[in-house]
Amino acid sequence: MSSSSNSSTLQSTSPARTAPAEIVREYGPFDGAERIHGVTHDGQRVWAATGERLVAFDPASGETTRTLACAADAGTAFDGKHLYQIAEARIDKIDPATGQVLASIPAPGEGRDSGLTWAEGSLWVGQYLDRKIHQIDPATGKILRTIESNRHVTGVTWVDGDLWHGTWEGDESELRRIDPASGGVLERLEMPAGTGVSGLESDGAGLLYCGGGASGKVRAVRRPRRAGT
Amino acid sequence: MDSLIAAAARALAAGDALGALKRVALRDDPPALALRGIAMAQLGEHARARELLKRAARRFGNGHEALAHARCVVAEAEVALAVRDLRGAPGTLAAAAAALDARGDRANALQARLIAVRRLLLLGRLQEAEAALSPLDDPLRGDDEASGPPALRAVAALAAAELAWRSLRTAPAQAALARAHAAAQRSGVPALQAEVAEARAALERPAARRLLPTGQEQPLRLAEVEALLASGALVVDACRRGLHGGGGTWLPLARRPLLFALARALAEAWPGDADRNALIAQAFRTRRPDETHRARLRVEIGRLRKLAAPLARVEATERGFLLVPPGQDGDAAAAVVVLVPPLDGDRASLLALLADGAAWSTSALALALGASQRTVQRALVELEAAGRVRAIGRARAQRWLAPPLAGFTTNLLLPAALPLT
Repeated sequence: MSSSSNSSTLQSTSPARTAPAEIVREYGPFDGAERIHGVTHDGQRVWAATGERLVAFDPASGETTRTLACAADAGTAFDGKHLYQIAEARIDKIDPATGQVLASIPAPGEGRDSGLTWAEGSLWVGQYLDRKIHQIDPATGKILRTIESNRHVTGVTWVDGDLWHGTWEGDESELRRIDPASGGVLERLEMPAGTGVSGLESDGAGLLYCGGGASGKVRAVRRPRRAGT
Repeated sequence: MDSLIAAAARALAAGDALGALKRVALRDDPPALALRGIAMAQLGEHARARELLKRAARRFGNGHEALAHARCVVAEAEVALAVRDLRGAPGTLAAAAAALDARGDRANALQARLIAVRRLLLLGRLQEAEAALSPLDDPLRGDDEASGPPALRAVAALAAAELAWRSLRTAPAQAALARAHAAAQRSGVPALQAEVAEARAALERPAARRLLPTGQEQPLRLAEVEALLASGALVVDACRRGLHGGGGTWLPLARRPLLFALARALAEAWPGDADRNALIAQAFRTRRPDETHRARLRVEIGRLRKLAAPLARVEATERGFLLVPPGQDGDAAAAVVVLVPPLDGDRASLLALLADGAAWSTSALALALGASQRTVQRALVELEAAGRVRAIGRARAQRWLAPPLAGFTTNLLLPAALPLT
C-alpha cells in the first residue's frame, strides 16, 4: 500500500496509482510445460496455455485436474461455456469437455497477438509489440474497436467493469488498469524485477491470475480495492 | 511474446527450423529476427543467421531488453565460432555473460564463457584458454543437472581434455574425456558423442616412435610418451624439437635447428660416440668436410654443451663427441632415447610440431625444420587442403595450428541460447 504522500507525488507526474503487486500464491511449473502463454478462469478452475496443451488446475489445492491437447501459443479466455485459445494466427473456440476445436476465427494481429479475454459478448485481444487492445466479434473476428496502450500488451482481462492488462518489457512487468475509452493508465501494480506477466485473468473476486512466461508458473496477485469509489 | 513467436519457438525446439521460419518469415520485430537467425543457423545458413542475430541484438539493445540482447550476442558468437570466424570482440561476449549471470540465466552465461574458451583454443592461446576455463570447470565436474546442462558440461570437459593433451598430461586428459563421454551421453546430442569418441580414439593412436639401438622402432601412444619423459631418461624429441631431461627439464631447440641436429646425431650414436665427419654431414649437410667445417663444429658443439649442461654432458673423444647423460657413470637406469614423429617425412614433422596446439608462423616452422619457408609453405597448403592443419590470420600475421582434438561442433547448442523471455 503506498502512503498518501507518495501517491500525491506520483499524482503530479502521472495520474496512475502505483503500488507493488502483492503475490499471494504461485502455482506450477506444470508437468512437461516450460512456459505459460495465457491464463483464464472458468469459475472453478484456472486454465493455463502451455504451448501444446491447456492445463486446468484447482486454485485451492494447486492440483492439475485436466489437460487438453491443443495448440496454445498465447492468450486464453472463457465465455461461460467455451474456451477461446490463440494458436499461431487464429483464435480457436474449444469445447472444454472434449478439447475439440469447434470453430476458428483469424486473430486480429495476424499472429502478433498476445492476451485474450471475454467480456460483454466480445473477445478482447492484446497485440503485444504493437501496444494495442482490440475488441472483436467472437463469431467473425471483425475488429469492433481498438484501444492504444503505451506498453507491450501481454494478458488482458475485464473485472467489475475495469479493464486490466499485463505489460512486460525486459526486466519490467506490471499489471495496469486502463481507461477503456482513452487508454490512459489509471492504476499500476509493479511486479518484482524479473517476474514477467504473460497472461492475465481475474477470478471475478479479489485475485488476478498471471502467467509467468518462461518460469512456467502461474501467480495469483491480490486485486486492490478501488480507491475513492 | 506473441502467438506466432511462441508457435515458431515451439517448432524450433522440436527441431522444425523450416516450420519456425514459415511462421515468422516476413516479420522484422526483434524477437522474430532472433528466431529467424537461430532457424537459419540450424539450416546451415551461417552468414544470414549472423546478420539476423546481429540486427536482433542491436534492436533489443536499444530498449531495456538486456536479457534478450545478451542471448542474441551469445547466439551470434556461437555461429561465428561454427564458421571459425575468430575476430569477434571478447569484451562483448564477456559483457553478455555478465548480463546473463546478473539475471539468473546461468546456462547461457556458461555457454558464453565456453565460447570464449573455445575461441582461445582455436587461436592457439592455450594459457589464456586454461585461465578462462579453470574457474568454470570445477562446478561442471558433477554428474547432475545442478552442475550445468549436460551438453555444456561435455563441451567444457572436451576443452579441458584438449588442454591436458596439448601439455602431455594424459591421465587428466583421459579423466576429462571420461567426463565428456558421460555428459555427452546424457546430453543426447549425437555430434557431441561422436566428437568425444573421436578424441578418445585419437588418444590411443601412436603419437611418436622410439628409435631403438638395434635400428628398430617402437610406436608409442601419448601415455607411453609421457611415461618415457617421466622415466628420467634423456629424451631427444624430434617431434617437438627439444631435449627432455629427468625432473621435467625441457630444453626447446625448435629455433636452433643446427644444435638440434647435432643433439639428435649424438643421441643416435649413444652409448657410443659420434664421428666428426658424420656430425658435420648431419648438421651442415655436406659430404666434403674441410677445416672450416671442423672449426664450426667445435663452435656449435660448444654452444650445445652450454645449453644442454643441466641435462647432459658433451665430451670430446678421439673420433668425435660423446653424449653423457647425468648419472651414467654409476647408474645404469640413465639412458638416451630418440623420439621421432609417428611417420617419416616433412609433413609428419610439421604435424608433430603443431601438435603442441600453439600458433606457429611459417618462418618459425621453417626454422625448426631447417627447411626453406617455401617448402614449408607448400607442405602447409597441402596439409590445409587435407584438413590436417588450419591457418588463422592473413599475410605476415598468418599462423598455423593443428586441428582441435575435438572439432567443437557448434550451433547444435543454440537452442539453449533461445533469445526469448
